[in-house]
Amino acid sequence: MRYAFLGWLFVALFSTVSAQETFMVNGTHNKNQNYYVFKNAIIFIDYQTKIENATLIIKEDKIVEVGPSNTIKAPKNSVVFDLKGKYIYPSLIDLYSDYGIPTEESNRKPQFSQQFESDKKGAYNWNQAVHPEVEAGQLFEVNEKKADELRKLGFGTVLTHKQDGIIRGTSALVTLVNDKANVAMVFDKVSNHLSFNKGTSTQDYPGSLMGSIALIRQTYYDTDWYSNKQNRSEYNISLAKMNENKILPSIFETHSKLDVLRADKIGDEFKIQYIFKGSGDEYERISEIKATGGKLIIPVNYPETYDVSDVFASNMVSFGEMKNWELAPFNLGIVAKNQIDFTITTSGLKELKTFYPNVRKAIKSGLPEKEALKSLTYSPAQFIGVYNVVGSLEKGKLANFIISSGNLFDEKNTIYENWIKGIRYEINDYNMPDIRGNYNLKIDSKIYSLVVKGEFDKPSAEIETITKSDSGKIDTNKISVNLKLQNNSISLSFNPNDDFSKNTIRLSGYVNHNAVVWEGKAQLSDAEWKNWSAIKGENSKDEKNKKDTSQTDSLVVPAIYFPNMSFGFDSIPKAKTILIKNTTVWTNETDGILKNTDVLLKDGKIAQIGKEIVAEGAEIIDGKDKHLTPGIIDEHSHIAISGGVNECTQAVTAEASIADVIDCDDINIYRQLAGGVVAAQLLHGSCNPVGGQSAIIKLKWGNNPEEMKIKNSDKFIKFALGENVKQSNWGPYSRSRFPQTRMGVEQVYYDAFIRAKEYQEKWDNYTKLSQKLKSERESPRIDLELKTLNEILKKERFISCHSYVQSEINMLMHVADSMGFKVNTFTHILEGYKLADKLKMHGSGGSTFSDWWAYKFEVNDAIPYNAAILHNQGITTAINSDDAEMGRRLNQEAAKIVKYGGVSEEDALKMVTLNPAKLLHLDSTMGSIKVGKSADIVLWTENPLSIYATVDKTIIEGVVYFDRAIDEQMQSKFAKEKSAIVEQMLKNKKEGAVTQKPKNKRKQTYHCDTVGSLD
Amino acid sequence: MKNLYKIVVFVIVILIQIKSEAQTESPAPKQAKSVLLLGGFAHIGNGTVIENSAIGFVGGKLTLVADARTIKLQANAFDTTINIHGKHVYPGFIAPNSTLGLIEIDAVKASDDQAEVGSYTPHVRSIIAYNTESKITTTVRSNGVLMAQVTPRGNVISGTSSVVQLDAWNWEDAAYKLDDGIHVNWHKMYNSWTGKPNEKYQDGVNELKRFFTDASAYSKEKNYSTKNLRFESMRGLFDGKQTLFIHTNFSKEIIDAIYCFKEIGVKKMVIVGGYDAWLVADLLKDNNVAVMLKRVHDLPSGEDEDVYFPYKMAKKLFDLGVLFCLENSGDMEAMGTRNLPFYAGTTVAYGLNKEEALKLITLNTAKILEIDSTCGSIEPGKDATFFISTGDALDMRTNNVEQAYIQGRNIDLENHQKQLYKKYSGKYLNK
Repeated sequence: MRYAFLGWLFVALFSTVSAQETFMVNGTHNKNQNYYVFKNAIIFIDYQTKIENATLIIKEDKIVEVGPSNTIKAPKNSVVFDLKGKYIYPSLIDLYSDYGIPTEESNRKPQFSQQFESDKKGAYNWNQAVHPEVEAGQLFEVNEKKADELRKLGFGTVLTHKQDGIIRGTSALVTLVNDKANVAMVFDKVSNHLSFNKGTSTQDYPGSLMGSIALIRQTYYDTDWYSNKQNRSEYNISLAKMNENKILPSIFETHSKLDVLRADKIGDEFKIQYIFKGSGDEYERISEIKATGGKLIIPVNYPETYDVSDVFASNMVSFGEMKNWELAPFNLGIVAKNQIDFTITTSGLKELKTFYPNVRKAIKSGLPEKEALKSLTYSPAQFIGVYNVVGSLEKGKLANFIISSGNLFDEKNTIYENWIKGIRYEINDYNMPDIRGNYNLKIDSKIYSLVVKGEFDKPSAEIETITKSDSGKIDTNKISVNLKLQNNSISLSFNPNDDFSKNTIRLSGYVNHNAVVWEGKAQLSDAEWKNWSAIKGENSKDEKNKKDTSQTDSLVVPAIYFPNMSFGFDSIPKAKTILIKNTTVWTNETDGILKNTDVLLKDGKIAQIGKEIVAEGAEIIDGKDKHLTPGIIDEHSHIAISGGVNECTQAVTAEASIADVIDCDDINIYRQLAGGVVAAQLLHGSCNPVGGQSAIIKLKWGNNPEEMKIKNSDKFIKFALGENVKQSNWGPYSRSRFPQTRMGVEQVYYDAFIRAKEYQEKWDNYTKLSQKLKSERESPRIDLELKTLNEILKKERFISCHSYVQSEINMLMHVADSMGFKVNTFTHILEGYKLADKLKMHGSGGSTFSDWWAYKFEVNDAIPYNAAILHNQGITTAINSDDAEMGRRLNQEAAKIVKYGGVSEEDALKMVTLNPAKLLHLDSTMGSIKVGKSADIVLWTENPLSIYATVDKTIIEGVVYFDRAIDEQMQSKFAKEKSAIVEQMLKNKKEGAVTQKPKNKRKQTYHCDTVGSLD
Repeated sequence: MKNLYKIVVFVIVILIQIKSEAQTESPAPKQAKSVLLLGGFAHIGNGTVIENSAIGFVGGKLTLVADARTIKLQANAFDTTINIHGKHVYPGFIAPNSTLGLIEIDAVKASDDQAEVGSYTPHVRSIIAYNTESKITTTVRSNGVLMAQVTPRGNVISGTSSVVQLDAWNWEDAAYKLDDGIHVNWHKMYNSWTGKPNEKYQDGVNELKRFFTDASAYSKEKNYSTKNLRFESMRGLFDGKQTLFIHTNFSKEIIDAIYCFKEIGVKKMVIVGGYDAWLVADLLKDNNVAVMLKRVHDLPSGEDEDVYFPYKMAKKLFDLGVLFCLENSGDMEAMGTRNLPFYAGTTVAYGLNKEEALKLITLNTAKILEIDSTCGSIEPGKDATFFISTGDALDMRTNNVEQAYIQGRNIDLENHQKQLYKKYSGKYLNK
């Protein structure tokens, strides 16, 4: 408390230094034109320039001069501080802060109805989560308590913004002075801020990650549109602000490495290079992160150690979570090693006091100290273009600097003072001696060994006494000492309870300046005054040894897997030349099923099919008694999706796309591989008539989302009919969104496609205009929703429509015929058997369940013979899963079509291979075993339609992604590594680490009708 | 080709029409004449097979089960003799912990009689809500499932189950073993949505314990001026007439549950679900607690687990010597009951032998439900509840039930779905 008082005193003395010009002064003006000179210090002018004996001169709020002491002369009116042996650093900068921004109480009331429009009153954006008009500069107020916490860590400047919403508004650069906001603020409107999280917005849209992405994209297009003055049919403050702030750097908050890649894709589309606020897992996809070209703001809030002392409970902690715990401290080092520009933020730290320990962990784990300093001084300033003001100690810059006892990142370092805008904030008194160490305490003739340790400003002491028992055994006892130090006067009291004294001994005295000798008077129990002294000895050997081991000359980074979890690969696997010998081949071609046949895979393709093939250098797989089939393709899957499968909030959400939110780390990818699946259409859910766009991926486990996408595949979109669309099973509170009946569904389609056509016409007419006329007229707005619908009309995008009842299927075909498009696939289509003739006429395919029914009223007439009837009527028929569990045994579902309806085994297998390939327009490269097609195949232990068949190998483009034998090896390897990490965690807990309890996170899976996000 | 197909379909349709006119899924009449099936590959259900079998049944009971080559019979020993050479005979499959007949369409509340309101509802009885007219049941029979333990859902104590056979006019003649057990949903230690530890777990367990302790004390006295219906319904748990079915999966919950009920004096316990049963196998065996193992076709619960773990669990429990059978609760359970045989098939693909797998849906189930003296296997003296399939019934590729008998009655294998199949095959045929 004493120091706090001192600090306040200084604040009071110097606060007028930088008093703002425009304000009235009550009383006498108190302008201070003195110079403050800091001499003989070790000064880091910037992160890479260290001057051993240097002097810094400041006046008012600026730096006047800095350099080697011998080159600098202090003016006469100087207050001089001799900082011999002490360090001066530029004050630190944090780019990700909400300092001084009042937090709003969330006014989200329990909502029982849907909210389609923004609650924000005024001429603002239609979406409540888009508020670029929010300016931190206008909201900012000084918060001394928080400023004090940050100053203690050495921060002088922060970039603060209101951390709420998707397009959040602008930030302000403020210093951490305790003064008027006008003094604290350096600049307002410094950067734009974005995130995928709609925060306190109560509006329904967007209800998913892909919806957020679409909303951001649409807003950028709207901004461009609004920049044309002819288009002011409405006044929109938000869009005006967007245009105004275009020139500012934009900072995008993300919550995973995949979010960084997602945000960067948006940036690429609009030629914006975001600065990313990362989440600390960047190391998992470091090359992709580097390729974004984005700079990073990285937190150091590592996961807490899991409490794994209970085996049953600790089994719930996944290997992936353990790896992240193990590797998180290595993240910054890996980022630095990859030469990605980054800064460190305190954002996300539960307790600020963990900042330095965590940064030190990063340094121990490979982050060079120089990089650490750069990332807290130069880089943040440079990222937002304010290096001319802060970030180093150069003439003319703000007088923001720290005085410390030593190296900033050293465990023993003490920050004494943090000067901000020339205002002194004292954190620890550097005149106070550092008394920590070992002493020989001599009272009268008695000598005790005294140990002083603990924090610099809160030392604690104990006395070690050694007693010898009769048997000669030596015991060391520790007696705690009550110690008080104020300025240089010191007092101690303790009760040794030994021959010398059975009572408390009280000592008072003083500490000399270099804290080597203490001396004074003691009063013992006999009330006699005695002399005492304490003389500092050498540091204990323990500490020296400790220091040695902390050196990390040979850094070992733990293995990072692709993906970094169970069953991840050591490195991304490569294609091999593989020869499968002497097996039964289901070609799906006119050749039918070939026995005793060899198949050669080369360069990712099927190179040769025949007998007795010889291929040099090929890896041979014995296929005897086994069956080789084309890989399974799931026409309807919802695995590997982040942040929600449904954008339910509007009847038409064609603008949203699953392709934006592929989750390459979903264990279900691997599980499907283990069931022979090689590719899947990841569909939007079925809660609205026009859902979002699909992603068509190959299950290339270990790769990133972009690599999983099938290159040049046709584009698809989800439509849906029936109970989900009309929200039949949503309970009594969802009765407002149009449509609520099948009648309304038809009108949604007509409305959407008629609007789409009108939209196109508008654009066509506009494009025809001369440049001159264009500039005079209102230009059409790019509408991502209508643009997507036009892709359907132009046959550039194809429909997969969730459907059950024949009436609605019939309806959509009528809509399609009259609007001029075709429904590529009716998916589920459980009543397809009732109108197979009409489907054939329209030219649709069907992708159905084998035997699901009775879960909703509309599937009461679903029959397992559906596929057989459709097939027999000449419809391209597939069996799909819509379910992560069933998805991994689609071969069995195909077999049910043999059982229910007597389709031949060959045709049944095609329903999960060639036919879905046809429905997805992939059959030129996939779906059969034919020379030249992609080597996407499965080796089964038996006839693949048998319940007794298991997968031996699943190969995609010549790469073995699943191998039963390797799978078993991986299990034991990961189990071993897991138990090694468990050992570390237990050790950590023993050493007093803060722990978290394991959670039983059974990963939920998405279905068609899942609303909301599961992750 | 196309014409040929049309002709084939036409013939099938005609044949089926003839048959369906004769029968409209009515319960079959009592067995009047004795029947002998000769030459079938009999899967007895107790782990053994008779490749060339002679199976005779009279008045609903099996009288003869033997190797056809070793027996000598009078020419008129049986009224009817049917040669089923090349075909397979299986005991009727039994679906335990099932909601068959309690729900018709999941999303239609009016058709749903699975869960009563309240926390402790041991007294609600599934049997009286059991709908013998369910369209789902007939589709289930067509795959060989001929009996079920109809079980209520929800609450801490869901209610009382009963075992039924699946061919009846009403619930009274469906009932095979009335009020066989009470079902408890053991409290969860972790919130199943957030994964966080359930802070109220111990409170919940204590409350449940108090309830059972009171029920036990109540059961010691017969005559009450004021009856407690809940406690009345639980008497059987304390005199050994009823089984307590404890629905839980997590190892620590299983341990807690067994110790809890053992202490209170519950005589017979079965764990339903039992994902972690293999971790506590000795405890289960020491206390004679059997397991109804959760749906085989499921995803592993953790991402580190063997991707085939749910498939391999049966083999694991078998090797550990735990008495267990397969159950099918979960999403789409009623209509999914017809896939019960394929769950058993999957356990074969992942380690068990076929006849052991068969036990998991026949004799083991009967043992756990304590009806094995009269059903669960094809043995003389037991009910003639079995079916004939042209191929291996545990494999969907070959499962094709031609005839099924429940207590000697030759039941109708027709169903709603087959009828729609015929109806719409006819639509295209006539075009």
